[in-house]
Amino acid sequence: MPLDFEFTKEQEDIRLTVREFAEKYIAPKAVEFEEKQEVPKEITREMARLGLFGILFPEKYDGLGLDPITAGIVLEEIVRADITFSLAVAYLVHTSWGYVAYKYGSDEFREDIIRKAAKGDIWVGIATTEPGAGSDLVGITTTAKKDVDGYLIFGEKAYISGVREAREKGAWFELGGGHVTLAYTDKTKQHKGMSLFFVPLTDPNITIRLEKEFGRKGWSFGSFVLNNVKVPETYRIGEEGRGFYIAMEGFDHARAYIALACAVGGKRAIELAAEYAKQRRAFGEPVATFQGVQFQLADNWARLEAAHALAYKALWALKMEQEGKIGRFEVTKIAASAKLFAVQAAKAAIDDALRWFGAYGYTEENLVALALKAVKSYDWAEGSLDIMRLIVAREVLGKEYIVRRR
Amino acid sequence: MVNPYDKYAIEASVQLKEKFGGKAVGIAMAPPHAADALREVLAMGVDEMVLLSDPKLAGSDTLATSYALSVAIKKVEQRLGSVDLVLCGIESSDSNTGHIGPEVGEWLGVPSVSYVDRILEIKDGYAVVKRLIEGGYAVMKVKLPAVFSIAGTSYQPRIPSLRDVLAARRKQIDVWNADGVGLDPSLVGLVGSPTRVVKMWRIEIRRKGKIFTDSDVDVAIEKLLNELKKDGVPLGV
Ligand SMILES: Cc1cc2nc3c(=O)[nH]c(=O)nc-3n(C[C@H](O)[C@H](O)[C@H](O)COP(=O)(O)OP(=O)(O)OC[C@H]3O[C@@H](n4cnc5c(N)ncnc54)[C@H](O)[C@@H]3O)c2cc1C
Repeated sequence: MPLDFEFTKEQEDIRLTVREFAEKYIAPKAVEFEEKQEVPKEITREMARLGLFGILFPEKYDGLGLDPITAGIVLEEIVRADITFSLAVAYLVHTSWGYVAYKYGSDEFREDIIRKAAKGDIWVGIATTEPGAGSDLVGITTTAKKDVDGYLIFGEKAYISGVREAREKGAWFELGGGHVTLAYTDKTKQHKGMSLFFVPLTDPNITIRLEKEFGRKGWSFGSFVLNNVKVPETYRIGEEGRGFYIAMEGFDHARAYIALACAVGGKRAIELAAEYAKQRRAFGEPVATFQGVQFQLADNWARLEAAHALAYKALWALKMEQEGKIGRFEVTKIAASAKLFAVQAAKAAIDDALRWFGAYGYTEENLVALALKAVKSYDWAEGSLDIMRLIVAREVLGKEYIVRRR
Repeated sequence: MVNPYDKYAIEASVQLKEKFGGKAVGIAMAPPHAADALREVLAMGVDEMVLLSDPKLAGSDTLATSYALSVAIKKVEQRLGSVDLVLCGIESSDSNTGHIGPEVGEWLGVPSVSYVDRILEIKDGYAVVKRLIEGGYAVMKVKLPAVFSIAGTSYQPRIPSLRDVLAARRKQIDVWNADGVGLDPSLVGLVGSPTRVVKMWRIEIRRKGKIFTDSDVDVAIEKLLNELKKDGVPLGV
């Protein structure tokens, strides 16, 4: 019986536990995340206590040793309680990039950083994008120079999630956090000359600047300048020259979780709007009785159901890859398809659902309005939709049909 | 699902254990499928969980249930040594009788206190508890062993960490049946239950609220008094 949509008893236990927490501590505050432009620190601390930042790390390093599907279940409950997506970002970026850092990090790195990340004492972010390069990573200029027992890093990263939360020690996380950072160790080799480093944002040679975000305002987003930042050799994640490839793997993880977050967030938005449409009356009838509303609801729901299943397929593919059962590029194709489809399905569904609210939909205290701004971020974050299209086309057509622009 | 009111008692037991040491044992009387929900109790920190389950117990009222529980408690004593304290929820979320705690106390022949908000002190074979009463609270000193039903808000149930949740899955839940515990069959199930549910119905509230919105309070009060007089409410004036 290989194909199965059932979850295990352990997974159901985990879902119920996270749901209880999310309904009690997250949901009542979600609107405030946007207003105050931050997530209350008690929430990330409590998430750490529950073990939500250690899902994928092995028990040996104080994690729970669970799989991507179980990590997805936790994400679903977080998103349902917070469709501003602030905590979804906090959770899924750490889960994806923390895992990749663990997988390719040295034993010393695991003992030191991963153990703290698993306990939720350190938050792990990702920094590939720069002011001059996003999709086209070969265009980055950040460099890491070999130095005695480590590297010196210079450069600037832009539009990076979680810079404030990683910068401040003893705030959202006991020890702040750091970003998995892409830099050239040999610029002449282009993408084969890149390496990844764990860079603690608490380093005094880093300055951060925050952007004013359009949505998902609870989790920060901004740039950081690395001016002669020294990191030990053990903070290099994977071999020199492998940075680009390892980053691609991390993107696959993040995209699978983003797809799931979008599917679930879209469904939640429909539920919230449907509740309102049942109460609100126009022309003597509840708005929910209008067929125009019902048909929109049905079409969007069906698409989100498909996105939901596809997102779980992507998480399943990650699990299969970990077990050595399917190849790298197959995972990349499924994850890119999932993000491409789910982001669009969620945007359309939330946009329609918001309309059922009438003018009340155009206020900052309407969660569905906040959700619309939030999912918009996934037009770009962790790879733009166009890049998803390029990946799917490349995998289906074959590499020889992709026009090389570099 | 674990009865939400019981979670306060579970939390209290775990906090006491954390403070004084000892062991917390949970006892639930329920059909076998309840075992799954009981893992939550273990995840919260209770050391051992017993499920008292037997078709013979079906239809038990509060008297029969409290009898069965008291016998199970004695069985726990045989296994683990003397029980110092029995904690239970204030009531069940389905029948809401609130009988079980005091009745278990009777069967065991020990004092019982209901509506315990907080256990303030345990010393020299006594417990000092804060008990909710109408309009305030009473502080009482009670000889142990005793049965407390834990009310309300003081012991906010913890949400267990996922590590504890997973560990609870790997723990054993002991299932005990009526014979194994040594229950007297004439005291449990329908035969052992003097309560008969004859009929159930919804209580309809036909009265309507009336609000007097006059800005002059005296006028509003006057109208209210007239209204009450009209309905024949004895006002003593
Ligand atoms: C809310 C948010 C959070 C983010 N968080 C992070 C983070 O934590 N870490 C991080 O490193 N980055 C982060 N990013 C940046 C994100 O990864 C980039 O925005 C993304 O990779 C696109 O890069 P860019 O913005 O430079 O756009 P560009 O690469 O300049 O692209 C501009 C437009 O051109 C299109 N385009 C580019 N190349 C092609 C092509 N070959 N064919 C067709 N169309 C193309 C793109 O789809 C896009 O529409 C975040 C972005 C947002 C919005």
